[in-house]
Amino acid sequence: ERSGAGLGIDEEVEVTRKPRAPRVKLDEHRLLSAAGIPKLRKRARDHLKFKGKGHEFSDAARLLGFYQLWLDDLFPKARFLDALAMVEKMGHKKVMQAARMEWINEGKPHSSVH
Amino acid sequence: ANGNRDVVDPEVRAYVSSLVSALGGSGADEDGRYILGDDAIACLRDLKRWLKLYDEKANRLDVARCLAESNLVGGDLLEILATWSENATEDRLKLKVALACLELMVPLTWPLEKNPEQMTVNHHRHIPYLEIAQLGYKRDIVNYDGARILHTAVRCALPSMAQDMGDRSSRDEGIIKLMLYFLRNIAMIAPPPNVQYEGDEAEISRSSMIDAFDYQDIFQLLLTLSSTMGEDFNTQDVVVLDLIFQLIKGVDINKLFLDEKKVKSGQMDELAQLREKEAAMLRSYQTHAPTRHNRFGPMVWIQREDGKNTAISGQAAVSDSTRGLAKMDSTKKFRPPHRALKSQGGPMDFDTSARLTVTATKHLRAFVEEFLDAGFNPLFNHVRKAIDREAERILEYHPRQFFYLVSWFLEAERARRQIKAPSSRQKSVNPDDLDSFSLVASVLSQEMFVTLNRAMDSAFENKLWHNLSAAMKCFTQILITVQEMSESPLEEDQEIAENILNRIFYEETTHDRVANITRTYKDQGFGYLDSVTDLAHNYLRILERYAKQNMDLQVRSRRRVRRKKKAAREAGEDDGNDNIVDESEGEDETRAERTSNERKFDFKRFASRFATQGCVDTFVTFTGYYNDLKPPQLKRAHRFFYRVAYKQDMSVMLFRVDIIALFYKMIKGPQSLDPQSPCYKEWEAFVKQILKRSFKKIQERPELVVEMLFSKINSTAHYLEYGYEKQTVTTT
Repeated sequence: ERSGAGLGIDEEVEVTRKPRAPRVKLDEHRLLSAAGIPKLRKRARDHLKFKGKGHEFSDAARLLGFYQLWLDDLFPKARFLDALAMVEKMGHKKVMQAARMEWINEGKPHSSVH
Repeated sequence: ANGNRDVVDPEVRAYVSSLVSALGGSGADEDGRYILGDDAIACLRDLKRWLKLYDEKANRLDVARCLAESNLVGGDLLEILATWSENATEDRLKLKVALACLELMVPLTWPLEKNPEQMTVNHHRHIPYLEIAQLGYKRDIVNYDGARILHTAVRCALPSMAQDMGDRSSRDEGIIKLMLYFLRNIAMIAPPPNVQYEGDEAEISRSSMIDAFDYQDIFQLLLTLSSTMGEDFNTQDVVVLDLIFQLIKGVDINKLFLDEKKVKSGQMDELAQLREKEAAMLRSYQTHAPTRHNRFGPMVWIQREDGKNTAISGQAAVSDSTRGLAKMDSTKKFRPPHRALKSQGGPMDFDTSARLTVTATKHLRAFVEEFLDAGFNPLFNHVRKAIDREAERILEYHPRQFFYLVSWFLEAERARRQIKAPSSRQKSVNPDDLDSFSLVASVLSQEMFVTLNRAMDSAFENKLWHNLSAAMKCFTQILITVQEMSESPLEEDQEIAENILNRIFYEETTHDRVANITRTYKDQGFGYLDSVTDLAHNYLRILERYAKQNMDLQVRSRRRVRRKKKAAREAGEDDGNDNIVDESEGEDETRAERTSNERKFDFKRFASRFATQGCVDTFVTFTGYYNDLKPPQLKRAHRFFYRVAYKQDMSVMLFRVDIIALFYKMIKGPQSLDPQSPCYKEWEAFVKQILKRSFKKIQERPELVVEMLFSKINSTAHYLEYGYEKQTVTTT
């Protein structure tokens, strides 16, 4: 009487593969999130200072370091120049362009229509 | 399944090798001389038939392989050709045999095409072997001791060439073509890419080829053909073109026209320069190298915001933070996917530079000078007409060769003039002694511009980048030549140059094309990039000069026109419709002032097309190769950026983090420009200025901190630069 039923042979075995962890991407959402450009703007306001005349190259090094550390926080796996290229590419997206316009308009003095 | 199986049908092999052995041979009882077999002519014909009816028809290459294995060319054909001595030219039988040999050698040396759609298993099997075999053919033919083989080939065709063009039968035409293709094939054979040639490279190099061409009087043949093109010869133009292309592609013109003494000292200078460059490289490495052994093991924390720390090993971070950051960057493993460059190799490649020996340089230079004097106009005019008419013999690669050759010879002509210049200046300048530009006039005609424009358009549309690159080189050289012509002391030259410049200046379609091509560079390789930037640079430079041309010159040119018209009217040739004769000097001046103002405006509008992000990106990519660029190329990039930043007032276009990073690296990075090099000073000053400006801008407009990351569209750039929106409605 006892068939294979009790042994569970006839039951369908479900093969489940754990889905691969999605690859982290540097996309417009990441850029627009709090760790993205908003953070960059805040840091720039608080920390980015230049020494000025006579220190052009050290100032440039400081500026580049500033961006590099920000990108390392945002997207640690890519190298600086690669990450810069990715960000630049994102800048062509509609969402990003709208956001960029907004940031620029924030900075505009309201009465300076020539 | 059987690994030892012969790759060729044994029956075929048997037939072919019995034919080869029946051809003849040398023996001890003949003092080692080569004796023709009894039926040698019939054997040669049979072999030809095998090649045609088996290989060609069935698309197999089996017979070619058998012939390569049995050493037919080196062992038999060359020996047979050598028996036809120079003083036995009248011998009909020998001529016949020699022709039959030639008929075999041409298909055997024919360039092997690797067209992936038409390749069969047999092709994959035989081509690698045959490529090596062809190198052997070339070596044997060029270096054969017993006779001048190339010259013998020419002798085969001499009776046919001596006839008038109209009297030649189709067989005569065929023989001439056969001989030319033989020479072309030999010139074209080169080690395939990725294959290390096992023999002596010098035996099959370009230099040995040029020496052989000189020794065997092939250059004379080329000169005769090209100088009488259109009179005595007609359809041979493309083969001659191909042949010259194979000889001169990639040859550096400046080295060609150095004096022999200077060549020797030049080589010493070159060595010294290279050593210096190497020393500079090592110096910059040493300033950044660790000062202690590699297991010293320092470890540094970089304190970051939000309570984060980054650990960096090695001495780099101890001394300064920039290098610490660079070290941090270099340990990252991730690489974004990127596309390979669309660069070109093989026989049509003209971007790889060729080095010549001293004797080869001398021979080639002699040929080039004679060609410029006699062959340039007839040959290139003839080919241009054929291209325009889309003649059947024009293949896809011929326009490319044509444009490349024109650009190369124009540059050579300018180099030659420059050498001559100092001596002519010492003498009292007599206009009759000066060369006019008529030696190269055929490529400065209006028809040439039409052909060139059409070629650039179609190449750009069909994405044939190498064609476009050659056409751009040609256009650049024409522009520079015209520019030099306008400074010539001969009035006639000035006038022609002025007319050409005038036409180019007001041709909007050409402006658009040049700007578009510059804007759209993407992965086409360094050779293309060099052509694009060179064209853009010279185009802008020459038109700017034209726009600035002082009034004085214009007044003078109007005066000249008036004088001519007056003379014509007095002679009764002119119908007197225009009133230029009746105007006075004063009117000339006001008119000239107006034109020069208009031109300034026009030029400004035109130049603004190059202040776009696309063009800037192209030049940034070009500058990225800064360590391999020559001083004139670095200067070109410098001038462009200078123009964008200061003359067009669009320095905002350069305010992008990657560009700033590149500029910074050029001056201060571990692989910076050599501080001793002549360009370093101006680049340093420029970069300093740009950096200063960008900091000032950031402080003025904090929103630039974000925009520094992105390419700017024109309206934003304008706002960032000037602080207000661009007025779109102009009030006048």
